[in-house]
Amino acid sequence: MSFFYLLLQLIAALMVAPLFDGMARKLRARFQSRVGPSIFQTYRDLFKLLKRGRTKSHSTSFIYTLSPYLLFVSAAAIFCLLPITYGVDSPLAGISDIFVLLYLSALFRFVFIIAGFDTANPFAGVGSSREATIGFYSEAVIIISLVVVMLGAGNSNLPVIVEAVRAGEYGYLIPSYAIASTAFLWVMYVETARKPYDLAEAEQELQEGVLGEYCGKDLAIIDMALMLKQFSMLGFFLIVFEPWGMGHSILSLLLFLVEVGVLYVLAVFIDNFGPRFTMNKGVRITMLFPFSIACLALMLYVIGV
Amino acid sequence: METIYTLFLLASLLSIALYKKPLWAHRLGFALASLFSLYAAIFFFSHLGETLVWKLPGSFISAPTFRLDSLGMLFSFLISVVAFAVSLFSLDYARFYEKKANLAAFASLMNAFILSMLLVVASDGVFSFMLLWEVMTLISALLILINDGEGASKKAMIYLGIAQLGAFCLMVALLVMASLAGSFEFSEFGRLDISEGASIALFLLLLVGLGSKAGMFPFHVWLPLAYGQCPSNASALMSGVMIKVALFAFIKFSLLLPLSSTFGYILLLFGGLSVLFGVLYAVVANDYKAAIAYSSCENVGIIFLGLGAAFYGIGENLPVVALLGFVAALFHILNHALFKSLLFMLSGNLYTATGSKEMDSLGGIHKKMPFTSILFLVAVLAIGALPPLNGFASEWVTYQAMLQGGVEEGIAPRLFFTFGIIALAVGGALAIMAFSKAYGALFLGLPRDEAIYEGIQEVSSIRLWPLAFLASLCVGLGIFMGEVVSLLSTMVASYIPTANAEDASTLSMPLVVLVMLLCAVVPFVLLYITKANHAPIRVTEPWACGFIYNKNMQIGSNAFTGDIRRALRFLLRYESESKMEGYFSRVTYKKKARDLFWDRLYEPVISWVMEAADKIGIFQNGRTNLYAGYILVYLCLVLIFGYYHL
Repeated sequence: MSFFYLLLQLIAALMVAPLFDGMARKLRARFQSRVGPSIFQTYRDLFKLLKRGRTKSHSTSFIYTLSPYLLFVSAAAIFCLLPITYGVDSPLAGISDIFVLLYLSALFRFVFIIAGFDTANPFAGVGSSREATIGFYSEAVIIISLVVVMLGAGNSNLPVIVEAVRAGEYGYLIPSYAIASTAFLWVMYVETARKPYDLAEAEQELQEGVLGEYCGKDLAIIDMALMLKQFSMLGFFLIVFEPWGMGHSILSLLLFLVEVGVLYVLAVFIDNFGPRFTMNKGVRITMLFPFSIACLALMLYVIGV
Repeated sequence: METIYTLFLLASLLSIALYKKPLWAHRLGFALASLFSLYAAIFFFSHLGETLVWKLPGSFISAPTFRLDSLGMLFSFLISVVAFAVSLFSLDYARFYEKKANLAAFASLMNAFILSMLLVVASDGVFSFMLLWEVMTLISALLILINDGEGASKKAMIYLGIAQLGAFCLMVALLVMASLAGSFEFSEFGRLDISEGASIALFLLLLVGLGSKAGMFPFHVWLPLAYGQCPSNASALMSGVMIKVALFAFIKFSLLLPLSSTFGYILLLFGGLSVLFGVLYAVVANDYKAAIAYSSCENVGIIFLGLGAAFYGIGENLPVVALLGFVAALFHILNHALFKSLLFMLSGNLYTATGSKEMDSLGGIHKKMPFTSILFLVAVLAIGALPPLNGFASEWVTYQAMLQGGVEEGIAPRLFFTFGIIALAVGGALAIMAFSKAYGALFLGLPRDEAIYEGIQEVSSIRLWPLAFLASLCVGLGIFMGEVVSLLSTMVASYIPTANAEDASTLSMPLVVLVMLLCAVVPFVLLYITKANHAPIRVTEPWACGFIYNKNMQIGSNAFTGDIRRALRFLLRYESESKMEGYFSRVTYKKKARDLFWDRLYEPVISWVMEAADKIGIFQNGRTNLYAGYILVYLCLVLIFGYYHL
């Protein structure tokens, strides 16, 4: 039964993620005084890609063939491990652990990087390097914010943390938790690969550079994996810091999807008005802000508030 | 157990006796070594949890006893398993060094090295321990010299220098402990009853003595030098097992001291620093063997984090923290031995096939060496702590131990444990970067140097099967982490009286794998439902934005880390060299990261010592008369001293 809910959670996210992506694109277009595509455009893009033929670089090896599926598996596993439709009493509760989530996203990053190397494409290589560097920056902030929460709640298990926050044993009344949430939301925004940190729209851009050599059904699967990863990252924030529950699995899932979708679309506000940064000036300096916020939260935890 | 030791001694003597016929000797020596270590592995595994004692017959200066308790048994098992894979691998690999050294000596040294490590683990007296410890150091230094070449003796001297510094501290600590306990047998030490200040001083001596051998920060400088120069099978043994012997001794001796939470803090601090600096240098290294060597420092740091939690737990009487900490440290020791020796042997395969250690001159090797490449991928996934492999399993337990410690009230535990957790996580992100770069730059993409690429051939199967054995152990220990943790925790619980073996929390890794498999089905179902285009894939040139593609456009190991090097430039120093011979000729550009701590910490000390040695040198001018004069002066001084004070 719990596996049924797990699949339901995954498939529901897969179904609605392109819709929110379409809404975000429409909104961005409206900001830029364009008419913009229909909100269903992302679905059409995916279907079109699935029907297209494929070409690949002659340098590629088995990594090229495998990486779309590996990326999908790691992104989907991250999403499945978010305790949306299940709670502490489920058999899956044991593996819904913050460290498992973090290292699955490290697996995603690892596959992304070696996929970039495999195609021997110059843009892909730069994209890989950038992905690794951003990973280093964001990992520090993520772990500092989460350490505060994990130590505050005394556990790294997500359903237990959710339970504690919902019951009011632990939450915004504790200053370190409140401050950590700010830093964490900031890095989750960075992880969703938007301006000013990244712009996942055109091939010659940075993150998507890795995908420059991918096409057809491979690209469609990677696109879904990327959307799923962005969804899970925002979901990760919501689960840890805003765990609203409805008491019923299906209703919680619906509420969760709406919440994530709203965050996903709202991110366009920052995305659209932000400038673009170079890697070693802008990104490094702006990442210092969430880093110092997270350190502040940590200091508060250490002195015991 | 005495049979095993005798067999290894025989194998060593037999292969050196055949030094006139090196090819025969090396075949015989390594075949015997693999046979004996397989037997040893089975023997030690079947006796896990028992205590075996063996007294050397006859009086040999003193009469040393060898005692294996359950911890020693585990380490002996670990040594034999890795030694089995390494000696099987060496059967073919060692022939690469035919021109540089006598293979009979090589085989004999390897056998003696395995024997010395097994004996160090078992020895129960201060003198036999120190003697065997030095023998182990010397043999490993000789193994560095097997690959004779430019700078080999300097590297061996640096290794020996740091090892001697460590051995000195260790000797002092052990002698003080022995005199306090009134016995030279470790098993009769009991728990020493000394003041906290004295125990911290002894602990620091032990940490310097054994940490320097284990490659802890700031003693990590010898790692890339020694491992880079060593033949790969020897560096697999050194990195995989020898540094574990040092850690074993560290655990054994510090448990004899009255533990306090300060010990835990010291270990957490040095563990965290080792993780961060070790992995940072691994990221910027362009030499794949150096990157693997630096990551040893990182992994020793992770083991120290686990041990730090354990010592804190014992000091503060928190049995759960202590139990989890020890289990984490032992589990990571086990895992690191497996994947690090695997990585070193794979780097040996690469080096014999390509003759280059620079990542920037290789590339695309997967097409020529597919098996080596896949094994390398498994090792890299394990060392990058990616689920569901074993590196992740032990890091997860380490995190749990540190979490349990960090919840305690008080500023000090919170500060040190959060530092440990953050160092481990940031180190994890950098490890991903270092090893994805290594795998990508070595095996994927297009070859950067055609001349090297043409000559590459996959190595023979005898050099792949033992590696496949280690790789499958890496996967197996990850998936069955529950069983491993329960085995280790029952073992550890016998050392901590208050702990309950069932308190060790584990993660249900098979369930994680199941969820991942379930997720893997989804895209195929989607592709089936939507009737995706499955037409065969067309092969083209990589796309270069409309320019004509050139293989030099692909990213190299140096460029890959450009951003991070710029961001962390205050921690790194470089030697860069660019050569331009003429306007139209090719410009060569080389950049090599220097170890900051070598420049800042070791160079000044070395130059000071050299200067002091120069000053003292004037007393030693080689004239016999003067030396006789020194003796006379000394005798006079002794007489005067004796007259007034006795």
